[in-house]
Amino acid sequence: MAERASILSRTIATPVILGLLLTAIALLALLMGSGPFNQTIIDIFIRVILVVGLYIFIGNSGVISFGHIGFTCLGAYMTAWLTIPPPMKKMALPGLPGFVLEAKLPFWVGVPAAAIFAALIAFFFGKILMRLSGIAASIATFAMLALINQIYSNWEDVTGATSSVVGIPINRSIWPYFVATLVAVAIGYAYSISRSGLALRAARDEATAAAASGVDIPKERLRAFVISAFVMGGGGALYAHSVGVVTPDTFYLGLTFISLSMLVVGGMGSLSGAVIGVVLLSTIIQILRLFEKGVALGDTVLTIPNGVQEIAIGVIMIVILMRRPAGIIGNREVGWKGLRKA
Amino acid sequence: MAQTLAADMVSVAFEGLRALSDVTLEIPAGRVTGLIGPNGAGKTTCVNVLTGFQKPSMGRVLLDGQDIGGLPAHRVRQAGIARTFQSGRLFADLTVHENLEVTGVGLGLSRREASRKADALLDWIGIAPLSERLAGGLPYTDERRVAIGRALMLEPAFLLLDEPAAGMSAEEADDLSRLIHRIALEVKCGVLLIEHNIGLVLKTCHSIYVLDSGEIIEFGTPDAIKASEKVRHAYMGTQTDAEGEIL
Repeated sequence: MAERASILSRTIATPVILGLLLTAIALLALLMGSGPFNQTIIDIFIRVILVVGLYIFIGNSGVISFGHIGFTCLGAYMTAWLTIPPPMKKMALPGLPGFVLEAKLPFWVGVPAAAIFAALIAFFFGKILMRLSGIAASIATFAMLALINQIYSNWEDVTGATSSVVGIPINRSIWPYFVATLVAVAIGYAYSISRSGLALRAARDEATAAAASGVDIPKERLRAFVISAFVMGGGGALYAHSVGVVTPDTFYLGLTFISLSMLVVGGMGSLSGAVIGVVLLSTIIQILRLFEKGVALGDTVLTIPNGVQEIAIGVIMIVILMRRPAGIIGNREVGWKGLRKA
Repeated sequence: MAQTLAADMVSVAFEGLRALSDVTLEIPAGRVTGLIGPNGAGKTTCVNVLTGFQKPSMGRVLLDGQDIGGLPAHRVRQAGIARTFQSGRLFADLTVHENLEVTGVGLGLSRREASRKADALLDWIGIAPLSERLAGGLPYTDERRVAIGRALMLEPAFLLLDEPAAGMSAEEADDLSRLIHRIALEVKCGVLLIEHNIGLVLKTCHSIYVLDSGEIIEFGTPDAIKASEKVRHAYMGTQTDAEGEIL
């Protein structure tokens, strides 16, 4: 009997290829050199982080979560609390505890702190939610999103309620976002080849048989939930630093819909699907946005009505679900010789 | 390794309906015990109780004398009691090899160790060539053997097989019978075999329990069961004559 190659050596091609794809995107931004395009690339990186975060939980557990953008909200506000200059904080958010009000931390501390905070909150929510399965679990995660949104929309002196929290230090270089995206992909890959990832995919296929194989399903789900919340929280913090402003409604239904769409279109069951779904849909969104603003063709300016972008995403999602329910990539991962089984 | 798995006066009631009444049975290590009975007699409920998928309403489930009746299913498996399912229930999107690996991981092994054990076991059962196939696309007979392999990972003390021969040809059932004997002899498992194929049970088991309407009505060697008037009556009363004649 031949000794089997290790799981790492059989699958390492996937994160390497995805890393190269992301590097190519970063280099593209470097070549273009313009401000607005840079911002577009940063947006893509942040979305990759969010969708990879979703993949870690949804892809491996098969439980659709509508609540993960709540963790993005937690992360964005946490880094805002830690990094806004103290004088501004004292004016806008006087309810924060004293040591937070005095803190003036750099963004590279704020982002990991935000990720850890989101993971911590996920642990407490998950303790309760991970006992549920199927549609009940999905609806409960939705309730969690609404809950987080309501707290952040109403806690006037800590979150500024529905008004914008401004003064978050802006970082316009693409590199921190690029590095964070690579880290997110690495976390997603490491989880998917881990013991927990395998056990959770088994439970996704056949929960009863997984329990009969010794798998403690709520425990494995909780692990994935916490790790994915860590990534989502970090993504939220990076978002905050990319625009400098946060409001609770930035992290609500709109972002939930678009990030879930990207995951579904690319392929829920695979890390490659998550990354490729983002790149593909982001490109389409960018092109449609351009047309919404108007594109000059000779003498005439071609414009499409506002909202076509969202409509197009909806249509693409429905078509994909009809034609390829497992997404463009399906349950496979990219490898050197094309696609292989995940 | 544990020596006996037993049900002690176990009753299960679903909303007032009695599925099992005062069932007492014992599965010794290293032997094949049969459990037969007409449709709806409560055989699967019995397996569910013994493996933690169903809490007994009354009575105890004893592993070497210790009550494990309240443990969740994954803990029961970790205690060394494995099972298969009537419908196979393989992890369809995983490979055959990964299907076995999952049990290794569920029992606390690293992926590398689990992978090695899975390869050795696939070899032992004789299905190593299937290891990289997706479990979802397997033919029926192979599916059953993979399910047995998945349950056998890390050599459980007890293995409960819920109708493993359903839909098999006579020849395939013979192969299965040989495999079950090897499991009892070489792995030293206590096997509980639940089957509709009574010929297979009579040929394979050392002793047999007969369940009817949730109660154990007979226990004995295959010869004793063949001769039993009560058993004949239970089968004739609820099933077609043709099936009754198998006895």
